[in-house]
Amino acid sequence: MNILIVGCSAAGTAAIEAVRTYDWKSSIVQLSDERDPLYSRCLLPYWLSGAIAEEGLRYRDASFHRDMQVTLHEGKRAVRLNAQSQHVVCNDGSIYPFDRLLIATGSSAKLPDNIPGDIGGVCTLRTRADAEAIRECAVRAGGAVVLGGGLIGLKTACALGESGMETTVVMKSDRVLSQMIDREASRIITGRLRTRKVGVLEGSDCSGIHHREGRLVAVVTDQGRTIPCELLIVAKGVRPNVSLAEGTGIAVRSGIVTSATMQTTQENIFAAGDVAETYDIAREEYAVNALWTCAVQQGRVAGLNMIGRKASYDGAVGMNALNIGGIPLIAYGMTNPREESGCRVLIHGKRESALYRKIVLKDHRIRGIILLGRIDDAGVLLSLIRQRTDVSAFEEELMSSQFNFAGLLRNVGKTVIDAYQSS
Amino acid sequence: MKHVICRIEKCLGCRSCELACAAQHSESGTISGALLEPVPPTRRIRVERIDGSGILYRSRTLALQCRHCEEPVCVQACISGGIRRDVKTGEVRIDPEKCVGCWSCVMVCPFGAIVRHEGIGRAMKCDHCAGRPSPACVDACPTRALVYCERDEIQARASRT
Repeated sequence: MNILIVGCSAAGTAAIEAVRTYDWKSSIVQLSDERDPLYSRCLLPYWLSGAIAEEGLRYRDASFHRDMQVTLHEGKRAVRLNAQSQHVVCNDGSIYPFDRLLIATGSSAKLPDNIPGDIGGVCTLRTRADAEAIRECAVRAGGAVVLGGGLIGLKTACALGESGMETTVVMKSDRVLSQMIDREASRIITGRLRTRKVGVLEGSDCSGIHHREGRLVAVVTDQGRTIPCELLIVAKGVRPNVSLAEGTGIAVRSGIVTSATMQTTQENIFAAGDVAETYDIAREEYAVNALWTCAVQQGRVAGLNMIGRKASYDGAVGMNALNIGGIPLIAYGMTNPREESGCRVLIHGKRESALYRKIVLKDHRIRGIILLGRIDDAGVLLSLIRQRTDVSAFEEELMSSQFNFAGLLRNVGKTVIDAYQSS
Repeated sequence: MKHVICRIEKCLGCRSCELACAAQHSESGTISGALLEPVPPTRRIRVERIDGSGILYRSRTLALQCRHCEEPVCVQACISGGIRRDVKTGEVRIDPEKCVGCWSCVMVCPFGAIVRHEGIGRAMKCDHCAGRPSPACVDACPTRALVYCERDEIQARASRT
């Protein structure tokens, strides 16, 4: 069987590993529009800050494709898919046939219309090439502006701050990480950022830029402020790279529509990672969760199903971990429910010690969690979200910082013991 | 592969395992030596209180460490590729050189078995005391609540006690 994988990041790599766990007969061809593509995007901020060397970006051994008997074609962008005759055409006209196709094309950074992308110093942070461009600018730059107060924006801002650059985060929202955490947690994080020499400008958007000789010199905000800087990093979210599926008959909503087997509406074509729309367990709706862990899990399920092994993706939970100025933060699912949503909220917090714990409940199930400061049993709580456990009998206990796996034994009992003993 | 399992009925919660684990993973490898080290060693096993006099158990504590899962979620979550499952031994290992301390593994481990070493900002967990025939926690357990044995043997022993 010919397996074709478009994309060489989390989902594509996981699919290869899943296939090769059981099947060394099928041929695997992988296409990537990047050079030396097997690196971890999530590590790019660490490389920018100098915390790791370029070699440290590598996600798997250099011999990965050889070891896995995968033919990797680098620098090829898949531009057209013919689902009926089962082939993909690349930008250079080359044609790749398949019996099974995995679309793992990921997502791209959004660039607002009023920001020209061809001015030196205007960057996004998505690929290694982006990071290289940022590093090149950073050598000359005295100041940097990061547009967007989401996870990527803050990670990038902290990285630039750590590398010694005067950095300001400009964001439309009135608080940082507004999609991920609530107001109280935002306040704690903002306080931390300020101690890291990262400025935060809430309620502002970039209304334009000044440039000289093709290079950025300042960013202008819609509040009338002009911030001199030589580097602007746009971190206004990502959009899934669905173009390959468009016009082929494959259903596309917020991303490529997938089933629990990660199949698209075309039986022999699969999708996984940032490009795929899947069921969200916490929100109880279909959504794109552009997260590394989700991409790996989806890629794995796709890989197994491509070779006819039964595997099912039980759904995504939005989740993120962040470590800012030594305060660890983990958040899952819906952390900021609207009042009419019928959710109940349990909160325990000590702002001065930067300890904060919030659990959002609905219909006796956990729908969202914020853990700030003490995060060690985060995964135990996540398992309660994933398994849709009725927590009504022990919800007060969940708020204890002492809650742990043994707490599950006490409250959930036999099934957990089986999990422990068979693990 | 062999696993460490805690027979809950026998666990006294004395935390000898925690001490032995920390000492084993210190520079000197001894309790007295570990006390003097600039970066204090961390235990990768934790005694957790099950509490109350449950119907299922007489005793109330569980000594818990990495379960070396067959399909480890931490490996799936690791953004650096620094957590890998050794296909030969079945053991799940963290490469300290690759770990960046992002805590993605902490975010997903259903046992809460990943330990954050805040001093050096790296994730750590049970490595079955690589190089020792039997893990230090097992050797240190005064009641033999902790055993180190094959998976099928675990089931048998668990149902026997």
